[in-house]
Amino acid sequence: MEFGYVFRRLLSAVPTVLLVTFMVFIAIHIVPGDVVDIMLGTQNYLTESQIEELYSEYGLDKPLIVQYGIWVKNLFTFNLGTSLRTGRPVTELIRERFPITLELAILSLSFALLFGIPMGIVSATKRNGFLDNFVRVIGLIGLSSPSFWVGAILIVLFSGAFQDFNLFGYVRPGVDLLSNLQVMFLPSLTMGLMVAAQILRITRTSMLDVLNQDYVRTAKAKGVSTRNVILKHSLRNALIPVVTLSGIQLGYLLGGTIVIENMFALPGMGRLLLQVVNERDYPVVQGIVLFIGILIVLLNIVVDIIYTLIDPRVELR
Amino acid sequence: MIFVVILVTLFPGVFAQYDPYKMNMDAFMNRPTGSYWFGGDQFGRDVFSRSMYGIQKSVIIASSAIAISALIGTMLGLLSGYLSGLTDLIIMRIMDSFFAFPSLILALFIIALFGSSMTNLIFAIGLVYVPIFARTVRGATLSLRDSLYVKASKALGKKEISIMLRDILPNISSVLIVTFTTNVSTALLTEASLGFLGLGVPPPEPTLGGMVGQGTSYLLSAPWIVLFPGLMIAIIVLSLNILGDGLRDVLDPRINR
Amino acid sequence: MRKYFAVLLVAALSVLIFAASDKVLVMAIETEPVGFDPTLVTAFASHRVLENVYDGLLKYDENMNLVPNLAKDFEVVDPYTIVFEIREGVKFHNGETLTVEDVLFTFERIRDPEVKAPAASYYGEVESIRSFEGNRVEFKLKIPMASSLLPNFAGVNSSILSKSFVQSGANLQLVTNGTGPFYVEEFVAGNYISLKKNSDYFVEGLPHLDGIKMMIMPEEVTRVSALRNGDVDLAKIGEPLSLNQLSTDRFKIFRTPVLSYYLLGFNTTRGALSKPEVRNALNYAINRQMIVKAVAFDEATVTGPLNPELDFWAIQPDQFDEYTYNPEKARRLLTDAGYPNGFEFEIVAAQRYNFDKVAQVIQAQLAEVGVTAKINIVEWGIFISKWRESDFDSFISMNSGSIDPDIQFNRTFRTGGSTNVFLYSNTEVDELLDSGRSESDLNSRRLIYEELQKKLVEDSPMIFLYSANTIFASNDSVEGFRSLANESLIFLRETSKK
Repeated sequence: MEFGYVFRRLLSAVPTVLLVTFMVFIAIHIVPGDVVDIMLGTQNYLTESQIEELYSEYGLDKPLIVQYGIWVKNLFTFNLGTSLRTGRPVTELIRERFPITLELAILSLSFALLFGIPMGIVSATKRNGFLDNFVRVIGLIGLSSPSFWVGAILIVLFSGAFQDFNLFGYVRPGVDLLSNLQVMFLPSLTMGLMVAAQILRITRTSMLDVLNQDYVRTAKAKGVSTRNVILKHSLRNALIPVVTLSGIQLGYLLGGTIVIENMFALPGMGRLLLQVVNERDYPVVQGIVLFIGILIVLLNIVVDIIYTLIDPRVELR
Repeated sequence: MIFVVILVTLFPGVFAQYDPYKMNMDAFMNRPTGSYWFGGDQFGRDVFSRSMYGIQKSVIIASSAIAISALIGTMLGLLSGYLSGLTDLIIMRIMDSFFAFPSLILALFIIALFGSSMTNLIFAIGLVYVPIFARTVRGATLSLRDSLYVKASKALGKKEISIMLRDILPNISSVLIVTFTTNVSTALLTEASLGFLGLGVPPPEPTLGGMVGQGTSYLLSAPWIVLFPGLMIAIIVLSLNILGDGLRDVLDPRINR
Repeated sequence: MRKYFAVLLVAALSVLIFAASDKVLVMAIETEPVGFDPTLVTAFASHRVLENVYDGLLKYDENMNLVPNLAKDFEVVDPYTIVFEIREGVKFHNGETLTVEDVLFTFERIRDPEVKAPAASYYGEVESIRSFEGNRVEFKLKIPMASSLLPNFAGVNSSILSKSFVQSGANLQLVTNGTGPFYVEEFVAGNYISLKKNSDYFVEGLPHLDGIKMMIMPEEVTRVSALRNGDVDLAKIGEPLSLNQLSTDRFKIFRTPVLSYYLLGFNTTRGALSKPEVRNALNYAINRQMIVKAVAFDEATVTGPLNPELDFWAIQPDQFDEYTYNPEKARRLLTDAGYPNGFEFEIVAAQRYNFDKVAQVIQAQLAEVGVTAKINIVEWGIFISKWRESDFDSFISMNSGSIDPDIQFNRTFRTGGSTNVFLYSNTEVDELLDSGRSESDLNSRRLIYEELQKKLVEDSPMIFLYSANTIFASNDSVEGFRSLANESLIFLRETSKK
């Protein structure tokens, strides 16, 4: 039943993802400046014939369509190629860098949920009170501020304040979990704030919706305390849209980490993408775009499925 | 608040005291003072004046970009929703692929390819938001397609284009307006991010994102260079969001608040 | 809550104690290495690592004099011949002993056109390399340019490799095997490079450090904050203003003038810029001191065609009339050249190394004399592409400098030179370059290059601007750190941590 749906969605996603990779491929090859240019920089130490040899070695002398075709063909053997600049396999690079971006996204989402949901609940229950308006304003500010600006402010605030706190210099969780969390603290806070605002608003809206429902009023009339009304009856239903929003936000987070990763010196995939686009390291660019594309498609499918599981009114098409 | 923003957009000269391009070494990296409200930047230019012009630039860029998105997206959405079938399939596939594209990357490519100028930037950002409009319009079109008066028009033998433009379009206008305002703020943030990464309108043009980007290196020594433009961005986006919220409350009868 | 603090405290303390027993210097760098093959790579960060992992026949001392390194002794026998005596008992990191064979093999590899080594063109005039008894290697040259060739032997791209190691098929981009004071223990891309002490280093007592951890932090803000927060001991400072955040009672500041210089280069075939008189006139319109102040915050020196520190070779900037800021004269000269109302042209720049900032200041200055410069900021890859194809009216860039005038000028100003993107062609200059190379008498050479410098400023295929200082900052625990004028960090081997 559901597997059929998943299968169909996956199948229909294939042309989309391929289209994306094709567009990226064309774009990055058309842009002036190629990997050999970057390599030679302003030193220009090779002769014309040596440069042509290099193009041939990298397979860049073939027509674009052929190059793309070769890349697609290699996909069938799960071969994403090797980086033209460092010689390392693309899959290895992604495997190294993605977990960091993922950790950042998850931690940011956690911060967002941690702040957003309670504030949303408070805001909904104390509707139009001072607290509600205050929280709504904070929410809107969080929503409106560019993430890099928030990050910059946080750096200024924290810089030099906590000497024992390991703020910069990424450490893998496996090596030193405490340091890892310390280093991830500021960046996840930065990204989390933006998402928290979204979560807050959705929680508030959906709580208000639910609180107005008849069955809630009935419970209140029966004398059930407000607290119980919130916790037992409304919360679960109210959280449904929050869940779906979280899924969407995760997608955004994964895509939008470039600036934050750069600013906080995190060796994530976002930063890698920026770097390899600058360096015209074609195989790595293609690999990352493919990876992100597939990820987003999968994420959308999961979100859709969860949504239908929770809300039986919506059907899967 | 939105009115102040609109005023500044239209008449930045009124607010700006100094020529935003002139480098005055006396103001070099000054803290905010009486005459330089937001302080001086790394070239001795007045941050306040540059912020005012920057607001103008950023608002123009964001609005124009979304206008383009709205235009193209609405067209595609109407076609897709009304005509269905193969047209629908193809258009939606292409829209989906744009969706899966990290928007920053798309804009990055277009800029890298065609150079960074204001028009290219508007075009790049505009392109990124086309899918949102296409999808929304398509959805609205679908629900209206089978309505009585559309069927009536069809029966009357009206041409398809006429139906799309005269019957469907006016009825989805509320959805369009809301989508427009909500996305202008996102477009502004995208422009700011691009400016921050160095891909926006090139210097010495003052853009809010660019000012933050170019000022980050001096963050610890002269935070006002980054602080104020960023604050401006937040304020504009804030006012736009409030506007959008308000409009949605008014125009969308389904939400009972 | 209290329990949490206790755990935190213990963790912090244990980290501190653990770190204290091992003298590892943690430093923040801006970019990351792209490969570790000394013969092939040109990336700045790669060189900073490799110069401590590999050795060349010669090296620079703290005054930028060439001194013996892997070569115990060297002699310029005559202008066509250099002889090196190779040190004995030097071990590679894998335990093998360095022999003359390795030296010969290394240069064979460098000169092999299939390898495409950056240093190959420098050894283009080498006729033969052979070894003979007494552990000696002799370089015979086709033209008498022996003293001009010497600085190349101190370059990272001429580092000596182990023949057996290379022939074993190892991928030198990923694994290293040098003779230097450190070896690469770990490279986590995007994150850090970990260097560890080579206890068998052939110089007794060095290195002092047990290891170096180079953390990759692209943003200035991150590096400065990390230094202030104690997360790193030493950091590369890109913006002089950051120094305001580092008070001198807690931090040490290291400034070094460098040889690389900023320039405004012209396409000498385009429009108004094809006239030397016009280019010459622009010199007077540019206030170099102000650029130094505005872009480098005075952490730089105005430079002529050669770095002013090279007192033997360089004509000092104030000796050139063109270096005095004189807008009226600029206008006059432009009028004489046929442009009384100025003209328009484009400056191509990128947002790196402050190129765009320099362009902005110059644009403002040229506007004062009626010349309209439009700035075209392009992405780095596009910048390089335009540079190589000479697709520009003018551009802002930075060239690496040298202590030897031939290395400084040859490829850049010779007709058809590989870095002569100005499409500049002047037979007098070509002749001066040729005679300068082959002249063995030091004083005659000096005169030749003096004439060349004058010619270059007169013709101005490029306008030499300034050389910035390299700035590093460290906390109090770091001792004995210095960086050289060629931005080399080989003195990390003499650095220690309290």
